[in-house]
Amino acid sequence: METQAAQTLIRSDLLTLTQNQMEMLLPYAWVFVGAAVALVLSVIRFISPKWPVFIVSLLTLGGGVWATEKVIHGERLLAFNNMMIFDHYSSVFNILFLVSAAVTVLASFRYLDKEGLQYPEYYVLILFSALGMMLMASSIDLVVMFIALELMSLAVYSLVGFRRADRKSNEAAMKYFVLGSAASAILLYGVALLYGSTGSTNILDILATIEKTPALVTPVFSVGAWLVMIGFLFKVASVPFHMWMPDVYEGSPAPITGFMTTGLKAAAFATFIRVTMSLGYGKSISAVFQHHMHDALWVCAVLTMVIGNLVALAQVNLKRMLAYSSIAHTGYLLIGLIVGPGNENGYSPMIVYLIAYAAMNLGAFVVMSMLAGREDHGLNLHDLAGLSSRRPWLAFAMVVFLFSLAGIPPTAGFAGKYMLLYSAVQAGEIPLVVIAVLCSAISVYYYLRVIVYMYMKEPAGSPANARASLWSALATTGMVAITMIVGLQPSQVLNIAKKAVNSLVVAAK
Amino acid sequence: MGTMAVETWMVHAFCATIFCIGLVGILIRRNILVVLMCIELMLNAVNLTFVSFSKQLDHLGGQMSVFFIITVAAAESAVGLGLVIALFRTLRTVDTDQIQLLKE
Repeated sequence: METQAAQTLIRSDLLTLTQNQMEMLLPYAWVFVGAAVALVLSVIRFISPKWPVFIVSLLTLGGGVWATEKVIHGERLLAFNNMMIFDHYSSVFNILFLVSAAVTVLASFRYLDKEGLQYPEYYVLILFSALGMMLMASSIDLVVMFIALELMSLAVYSLVGFRRADRKSNEAAMKYFVLGSAASAILLYGVALLYGSTGSTNILDILATIEKTPALVTPVFSVGAWLVMIGFLFKVASVPFHMWMPDVYEGSPAPITGFMTTGLKAAAFATFIRVTMSLGYGKSISAVFQHHMHDALWVCAVLTMVIGNLVALAQVNLKRMLAYSSIAHTGYLLIGLIVGPGNENGYSPMIVYLIAYAAMNLGAFVVMSMLAGREDHGLNLHDLAGLSSRRPWLAFAMVVFLFSLAGIPPTAGFAGKYMLLYSAVQAGEIPLVVIAVLCSAISVYYYLRVIVYMYMKEPAGSPANARASLWSALATTGMVAITMIVGLQPSQVLNIAKKAVNSLVVAAK
Repeated sequence: MGTMAVETWMVHAFCATIFCIGLVGILIRRNILVVLMCIELMLNAVNLTFVSFSKQLDHLGGQMSVFFIITVAAAESAVGLGLVIALFRTLRTVDTDQIQLLKE
């Protein structure tokens, strides 16, 4: 009797994977196996792990990109009892994460030598963090999303504190850990409340439930939704949840800062879009709640842009300046989130901006990790004086990235910002656009100031101390190329992003 | 002695209270180890919420989630304690007021 009941309960389709699902799982499995191999290689005593782990990490990330390319045009597929989804959207983000991890690995190789920190765990942690990001972008169950988020964050907490002997690095790691864990707990409490009010942790089910019975948008649901949103706003470092960010960015090793500003932020935004859609944002369920959500995001976006840009003006440390500018860029991205449902391109301008931002910011941090002295000293503005005569190519690459960050054509930053603001105009958010343009004008000042120092000041201090590493040069060239290509042919990137968003919209129905 | 039924709202209020104690603890306590405990407290309040909703809805998903959250919480405290040790080695203190190098 009991066995019979058990037999009816176990659905065999949940225990097996179809051929298609196996194929879609390949990128994840590849990255996981690669990370495991790198981990084993790094503890074998009788070989020097430096080169093997570096090469395995690059192969893993490159292979992951290749495996994702192969499945990118596949059908949308659900797996593991609707806990994960493989669609164009997650594939596009997977490539973004893998490329940013690969660039970080390339930039770190010489950097770690210089810092005397060439430990193989570093690469393993990057791989696991990339895996967490990939799982995060493709999970549609909030609990799975939480586990993936923690996989990503735990690896990054250790990476931030990787300069173990340096007090600043330790302090940054501790701050990030405490505040990040608190944010995760807040997010999880929100998930619990959403589960309590709708009976599911699956974001498609949550949307379906509240669409069917809008009466379920109870105070408990709203509080849950708010807590989840606060958790995400913290992860993307939007004002007023940004206090941790400049400290953490300044304290962590330069390549890791680049990884955090791009990979982590993209992962958080990738899930943020899915979650806001599942909470019914932009749909006519419970108009009051939607208005509150819109207004709160609006205020956050404006504060983020204004405060990020104004504080960045006062910074003389390049790393800290880019940290604040990264807060400002979060503000622009939040515009994309707000106007997503209200314009013809949906969330795709936001994805274009994420891609552009990833390329230019990663590039800037690769250049910075090449310029940095021991323990990331020598990154103040006056240290950059006359860089163009000392290291002309590096200075040129930095100019491209800074132009792009400031949003000057023909770079990726301009294309991304233009699309983003155009979509905001379409959605009728004129005040938001005006504020964004003004903030953008402010930002030109502090980006151009760096260029002025590099090109128009007499060289000061020590001359070039090191040859450029081949790997970092490769990464920089790649990022310059992507920045220019996205800037010159934005419509192609927009098409990719549109396809991704379409697969998302279909999924949410 | 009369008996009192435990009602659903009481359980949820209890969970919310524990959660808030954890959150406030993170914000005001100065000892980093106590802060770590407060994080655990928050996560356990979430677990309790999941279990009580699971019972209330007669749906096992919530109880399943708890197992995953316990595992993640264990990993999190392992990393957290590792960071505390690293911090203690360089800074010789567990007082968060002393941690302010990056403020300048």
